[in-house]
Amino acid sequence: MSLEDEVRKLLSENVKKAGPRALRAIARKIAEEKGDPNVYTEAFKVAARILGRPKLIVDGKRIDGRSPDELRTPLRIEVGVLSRADGSALIEWGKNKIVVGVYGPRPCIPKHEANPYRALVKARYNMAPFSTPEERIRPGPTRRSVEISKLLEEALSSVILLEEFPGAQIEVYVEVLQSDGGTRVASLTAASVALAQAGIPMLDLISAVAVGKVDGQIVIDLNKDEDNWGEVDMPLAILPRTRELVFLQTDGLLTKEEYKEALKLGIKGALQIYEVQKEALKRRYML
Amino acid sequence: MRKVVVPGELVSEKKVEGPVYEDDGKYYSLIYGLATYEGERVKLIPLEGRYMPKPGDLVIGVVQEARFFGYLVDIRSPYTGVLMANETREKFTEGDVISAKVKTVDEVKNVFLTSPRRLEGGRIIEIIPAKVPRVIGKKKSMVLMMKQLTGVQILVGSNGRVWLRGPWEKMSKVIEAILMIEREAHTTGLTDRIREFLEGEG
Repeated sequence: MSLEDEVRKLLSENVKKAGPRALRAIARKIAEEKGDPNVYTEAFKVAARILGRPKLIVDGKRIDGRSPDELRTPLRIEVGVLSRADGSALIEWGKNKIVVGVYGPRPCIPKHEANPYRALVKARYNMAPFSTPEERIRPGPTRRSVEISKLLEEALSSVILLEEFPGAQIEVYVEVLQSDGGTRVASLTAASVALAQAGIPMLDLISAVAVGKVDGQIVIDLNKDEDNWGEVDMPLAILPRTRELVFLQTDGLLTKEEYKEALKLGIKGALQIYEVQKEALKRRYML
Repeated sequence: MRKVVVPGELVSEKKVEGPVYEDDGKYYSLIYGLATYEGERVKLIPLEGRYMPKPGDLVIGVVQEARFFGYLVDIRSPYTGVLMANETREKFTEGDVISAKVKTVDEVKNVFLTSPRRLEGGRIIEIIPAKVPRVIGKKKSMVLMMKQLTGVQILVGSNGRVWLRGPWEKMSKVIEAILMIEREAHTTGLTDRIREFLEGEG
C-alpha cells in the first residue's frame, strides 16, 4: 500500500471528524508502524493535502505575518488586578486574555488532604463560556481543563518552597476569558507572576512558551490555527536562571535534530517572556 | 542603592540578610522584594505577602473559638493563633479583639500567644504585613509622630492589623495617612509628607 493509500484508509476509519487531532494521530500511527519518525512529516503532508488544508507558511511568513522566531503581540502582563486575591495577574498574549488569582498559603481544607510536611498547590484552569469564537463552551471541567490544572500544579510545585508552609494550601485559579492557542503556557507564565506578588517564596519565576512545527518549519508561539493544523505542538516552560525545563509536552513527532532546534528556539522565546514578567513586577515599584 | 528583585534574581555575591538561597557563591532572591545595598550590608525585605508569625511579634487578633484548653485566635496568617487558658486570667468570647505577643511557633506551625489584652472600641484596618515596619518607623518615629499630631491611640500589629481609637475625624485622617504609607513605603521623604498631611486641615 502506498503512503497515500494508507493515509486515506486511516482517514476513513477515523470516527471523529477529520480535525487536528486526527491528522497528527494518523501520521503518528503510520510513522510508528514503519518505525521511522521521518515518515511522520510525509504522512502528515499527505493527510493535510487530502483534506485540503491550506498552507500555514507562505514565502517564509506565517498566516499572521510573523516570522518563525517571532512571538505574538501584544504581550502584556498586569500584576495585582484582583484586590481581594493574595496575588493576581492578567496576561494578554496575542488574542489570549487570561486572569490568574492566587490565594494562600491558607490552611488546607479538607483537613484530611493536608500534607503535614509541605503545602499543597491546588490549581483550577477554567475556560469562560465566551472564550472561544465557536459555540459557547458549557461550564464545568473537561478532560482538557483537568489535565491543564494538573500540569499547572506539577510545574508550580517544582519551584515553590512548599516546605515553608506545612499543612497549608496554595490555590491558583486560572480563568481564560479569551483563548487563541497557547493558553496553558500563558496561564503558567501569569500564575508564576501572581505567586510572586502573593509573596510566596520560589526558586525562580517560570517562563513558558509553545514551540511547534508548521509546514515543515520549526516555529515559536503557535496561534490557534497553527496549534490546530500544524504537525507538532510542543509547549514548554523553564526556570530562566538555569534554563532547566520544568514542563514539557509534545503532540506530534519530531526527529532528534528537530527536537533540539525546537528546544533551542523555545528557550530563547521563554527568556523573552521572562523579561516581560520581570518588567511587570518591577514596574509596580518604580523607585 | 536599592533594587526591586523577583524570585530567582541575583541579589549579591556577598552575604544577604533576608530570604535568599545560595548557588555557587552567589545569592539569589526567593521572593518579590526590595534589596538595599549599604556598603557591605545587603538586606532583602519582601514587598508583599502574608504574615508569618515570629516569637516576640506583637499581633492583633480576633478570638475565633473558645476551647477547653484556651482560645483559637485569627491572626491573619496561614496559621491560627492559640491562646492557652493558663496565659490569662481574663475570659474572652468569640469576636473579641485582642493584642497579644507571639510566644513560640512550633514545627507544625502552631502559634502560641501570650500577654493578651482586650482592645475595646476603636477601629481596625488591615495593611500588607511587609509594610508594617514603615508604619512604625525607625525607633517608632512614624507611629509616635502620628499619635502626637492627632491624639489617636494607635497599636500596630506585626500581622498587618492596626488598631486605632479616638475621635472619628481624627481616626479617619490617621487611616488615610497609614494607607498612604502603605502605598508609598518604598519612597523617600515619606515621614515629612505624612507630617504635612496630618498637620494640614482635614
